[in-house]
Amino acid sequence: MTEHIRKVYAPMTETAFYILLCLQKPGHGYGVVQQVEKLTGGAVRLAPGTMYGSLSKMEKDGLIAFVREEEKRKIYQITDLGREVLEMECRRIRRLYRNSLGEVVS
Amino acid sequence: MKEKTVFRIFTIYEHEKEQDYLRQMHRSGWKFCLLTFPGFYHFEECEPEDVVYQLDYNPEGLSHKEEYVKLFEDCGWEYLQDFAGYSYFRKPASETAGAEEIFCDEDSRLQMLGRVFKGRLLPIFIILVGVMLPQLLLNLFSYRDYPAAAAIGVMTALCIGAFIRFAWLYYTVKTRRKN
Repeated sequence: MTEHIRKVYAPMTETAFYILLCLQKPGHGYGVVQQVEKLTGGAVRLAPGTMYGSLSKMEKDGLIAFVREEEKRKIYQITDLGREVLEMECRRIRRLYRNSLGEVVS
Repeated sequence: MKEKTVFRIFTIYEHEKEQDYLRQMHRSGWKFCLLTFPGFYHFEECEPEDVVYQLDYNPEGLSHKEEYVKLFEDCGWEYLQDFAGYSYFRKPASETAGAEEIFCDEDSRLQMLGRVFKGRLLPIFIILVGVMLPQLLLNLFSYRDYPAAAAIGVMTALCIGAFIRFAWLYYTVKTRRKN
């Protein structure tokens, strides 16, 4: 993992996090929007301008890869680097969560 | 059906003002139809309605227009047109969730400003430094053509003004994001 990736994605935006989380299975941008709405009970609504920008940036950075096109929608999937970055972010969030409960992480 | 055309110029850093203007027009019964060069806004009379207008600036989206527009349409945004690199979208306020916009975080708002900067302001800056400043100095000190120098001087000042205001806008969004 390069310095650039670390700088941009640790920590990452909510949008970037949910993109990586959802694209562990192949999917398109709008699919991620719908899935996140379900996952969060409507609390997080991703917007298309943000989604489009994030997808193309993350594709350039090699975190997700283009798979194929379906009805004018681009299907993407997470890459090995993407998984690594997601795992790193999950560790950070777990630590935050445990700290928020007053626990000390060793 | 009644139609009308309004001439208005919104500068590079005023896209939020432009969005508000179009929303205000729709609310007072004038639906936006088309924008033509250099700033003719065509409207047709309609039932007054609260409709949210949004502008995106995304050259990559424009070069993959079908899938770019598809994502917005999937999310319920009607695509209207492109103008000078900007794409125009709208959605009735009755269908939006709260104060919904096409961006959901300050990061992506800042990135859009960054794209505007690269696509629109940087070329102006290059013209300014490469052409206008040398011309200004030549007319002032070499040709001593003061009317020409004054004209170029005004243009240069306008460019610098646009630059400073854009830098200010970028800065305010950036601080808004940090807080």
